[in-house]
Amino acid sequence: MAIDVKAVERLATDQASLKAAAGLARPGKWSGLGASHDAALIWGDCAGSGANPYRVAADLRDLGSKCTCPSRKFPCKHGLALLWLKAEAIAPFPAGDTPDWVSDWLGRRRPAAGSAPQPAAAPAAGKDLSAARVEEPEAADDPKAAARREAAAKKRGEDTQRAILEALEALEQWVGDQLRLGLAGFVEDATARCRRIGARLVDGKAAALAGHVDELPGRLLALPAGDRLRGATVELGRLVLLARAYRAAPEEATLRRAVATAETREALLDDPAAPRVAATWEVLAEQVRTRRDGLVSQTTWLLNLGATGPRFAMLLDFFPASAGRRAAVFTPGEQFDAEFLFYPAPLPLRAVLLRRGATREAADQDWPQPAPSLEDALTAPLLQEPWAAAHPLLLPAGRIGFDRAGAPWWQADDGSAALPLAGEATGLLTGTVLTRAAALWSGNRLQLLAAQSPWGRIAHD
Amino acid sequence: MTERLLEALGPVLTRWTMGGGAAPAAPAAWRDALGEEAAEAELRLLALSGHFLGSLTLAEPAGEIHALAPLPRLAKPPVPEALRPRARRLLQAVREPSRRRDLLDFLDARGWTLHPGDWLPGPNDEVPDVYTPWQDWAASADSAEGAPQALSAESWEEMAPAARRVAFASLRRQDPDAAALLLGQKIGAETADERVRLLSMIRQGLTEVDRPLLEGFANDRAPRVQATAAALLGRLGHGATAESDAAELAAFFEVQTKGFLRRTRTVVPQPPKTPAQRNRRFSLMQSVPFPVFAASLELTAEKLIAGWPWGADHGLDRALAGMAARSSPDAAVVAVAEALMTGASLDPYGLHSLLPRLAPAQRRSLATRLLNAQGGTYAQALIIAGAEGALDDALRTAAGIALLQRLQDSAATTGDPAGELLALGLLTTQAEARRALERIAAVGLVAADPRLDMLRLNAALDNGGTTR
Repeated sequence: MAIDVKAVERLATDQASLKAAAGLARPGKWSGLGASHDAALIWGDCAGSGANPYRVAADLRDLGSKCTCPSRKFPCKHGLALLWLKAEAIAPFPAGDTPDWVSDWLGRRRPAAGSAPQPAAAPAAGKDLSAARVEEPEAADDPKAAARREAAAKKRGEDTQRAILEALEALEQWVGDQLRLGLAGFVEDATARCRRIGARLVDGKAAALAGHVDELPGRLLALPAGDRLRGATVELGRLVLLARAYRAAPEEATLRRAVATAETREALLDDPAAPRVAATWEVLAEQVRTRRDGLVSQTTWLLNLGATGPRFAMLLDFFPASAGRRAAVFTPGEQFDAEFLFYPAPLPLRAVLLRRGATREAADQDWPQPAPSLEDALTAPLLQEPWAAAHPLLLPAGRIGFDRAGAPWWQADDGSAALPLAGEATGLLTGTVLTRAAALWSGNRLQLLAAQSPWGRIAHD
Repeated sequence: MTERLLEALGPVLTRWTMGGGAAPAAPAAWRDALGEEAAEAELRLLALSGHFLGSLTLAEPAGEIHALAPLPRLAKPPVPEALRPRARRLLQAVREPSRRRDLLDFLDARGWTLHPGDWLPGPNDEVPDVYTPWQDWAASADSAEGAPQALSAESWEEMAPAARRVAFASLRRQDPDAAALLLGQKIGAETADERVRLLSMIRQGLTEVDRPLLEGFANDRAPRVQATAAALLGRLGHGATAESDAAELAAFFEVQTKGFLRRTRTVVPQPPKTPAQRNRRFSLMQSVPFPVFAASLELTAEKLIAGWPWGADHGLDRALAGMAARSSPDAAVVAVAEALMTGASLDPYGLHSLLPRLAPAQRRSLATRLLNAQGGTYAQALIIAGAEGALDDALRTAAGIALLQRLQDSAATTGDPAGELLALGLLTTQAEARRALERIAAVGLVAADPRLDMLRLNAALDNGGTTR
């Protein structure tokens, strides 16, 4: 189904959208391009500023489009760019089975009356494709201006550093206050107390730490009542450890990420220390949580099925809750070849997607063997990064069982370990051997992400 | 070492719980690391304690950990892995219990089950019998022993209710008298709900031999058990008040004779004079057995059906159909169903009460007749034929032409045809599903449209074997 590039021009809400789309209408920005067998639908993944690519699909019958980006413009620059790629045959769209996420979108939308293209109501006036294609020349280098910018940036960096150190001091004082006032009272009133110090941390530019503190009451309340005092001791102890570690090495990237903010994608791409790992990956799970600060965190956990490189990758993105529900970027269980760029760390985990190949027809590549020592797998990452809330691990064969109080436990088949589960365990998960399981271990609770069993793969929501 | 430290931390945690300094009570091994300054010592002690408790100690289970019995394999395999995403999406789309039951029935008829990772039945869900082992697992998953297959007075208590009902149905088919005898011995100890379920199961193969058993429930402590037994007795032509009530009911009708050469008898309802009379007539039609009513009108069952004014009053038609379903022999049930689906009197809703008593082939025939009638829909046909995926030529009907027209005319304002496409997918054979997909694609619907999920699943699922 052919489309005219002029239709793309008409669809754009303004010249800025068209200009941005022109920058994205390049094959290098896209992966997983495809078209339905009846040529009515096209789709692809477009690299954005986050860890996950944006998933974009378009219906060529009426030029409707869908994108997972948070833009309020419709169509967004990614949708326009996808149509542009198709209109000018800039990249091939191989015919294939329509992915589920495209079908899901199709199911939620209903085309407007008739099947004729319905471009945006905005007139074409004021938008110009040829102008959008023109590359703007880079501004001439002005040494004085550059020096001024550098000095300003340095001053900003120093101010930020000072603010963070002051915020950490306030945090430690707050922790001391909780001990003086009693942890029993803290557990009762954790939400309000954490909100107060969280706000102070935001003011002090310690945004990542503020998010961690904001989520602390949630983690605490998820524990059985009898375990909350111990949990509070662990959580507050982690805050002290992180504050001290940061003070000792404020330029350490892992600590900056945990306290302030992560590097931008561009900075990461420029960092020669950031490991690039190409392998076959399986999507374990996607966790979407609305945080107290109004942001939605989207965490995708992936398992490296290859022999080398980090065993897990975590893709983490944030977007405002006001942007509405965001479609899943990956489907749990799918396997694909991809290259990830990891944030440098002693135990690389957080990553961004660099390049993604096609999803494998049969997701049948076996999971790797778990670490030989379960005890090491449980404790080593916690000793390495004691402030981390949880870390992923692979478990050997085991089963879910229940203790006398009805609490669910994962128990190794050889009886060597029993780990308490977070939340409830129901359904098939409790009725079969788990030949392998991928889980998050927080030091006191296990959260299953996915498992393999004689029944096949089991997802744990 | 870990145990000793944990023990030594006891007083520290106690002090922090209540509030106050705990450094003086710190474990001896850590004291040097805490320093002299009190506030600093508290924070250092907290960092050490938190790190120790968070990474080197594990909670202990309360008593022994007990794993549930393994989920049993069913007699039919789960849908192939490649089709699970589509089955999951359909499960999301059919959350309403009766629609979900349709999906389960369709898979069952085709020889498959849902994957337990996608769905498991609750112990009391109304699901096809094939899922009985999973229902019993859900009800008593800690029972390691499998349920015995044969039902007897000895094994009655050992079997879980769902498995027992399946075994009882099997016994009733094989040896109706033995089943009635066993029921008479055991049913008294069951709950009222279970008594109704079990009693309803003797509808199959109901004969005079069952009369003493049914009469034994005349004074059952639960009214709904009494009503079930009375309905079954009514079907046998018995009932304490049947004859007097039937005479009262017959008075609401007049039998007239028409024609000179071929004299036929027609039943003419007498218009009720008051709402109270109308209610009484309705109430009597709910309780009087069909054969007794026919006898009161001095007609045979066949002549009552032939002389009934079908189509004149759908309410009366449905009441008579309900009466037939409860208490008439099979032949009369079929005749009433035929009458309800003929000519101007066509009333698919009137069939509902009769459906459990019609054979699958009869239901399919009636459904096809409905699809060819004006205004017939796949959703109505699905109720009649059931989701057995056994209708061929379902698209070459008036309903099929209407559906294709709706799909072709995307500007139609007649609502979303999603329900019709779902029902079509549940009704048709695999070959017809494939033909339907081709014809629907030809009128412009995108093949990936999720409204076609059921048709695509149908087209991909062979009978209990391989997929395409």
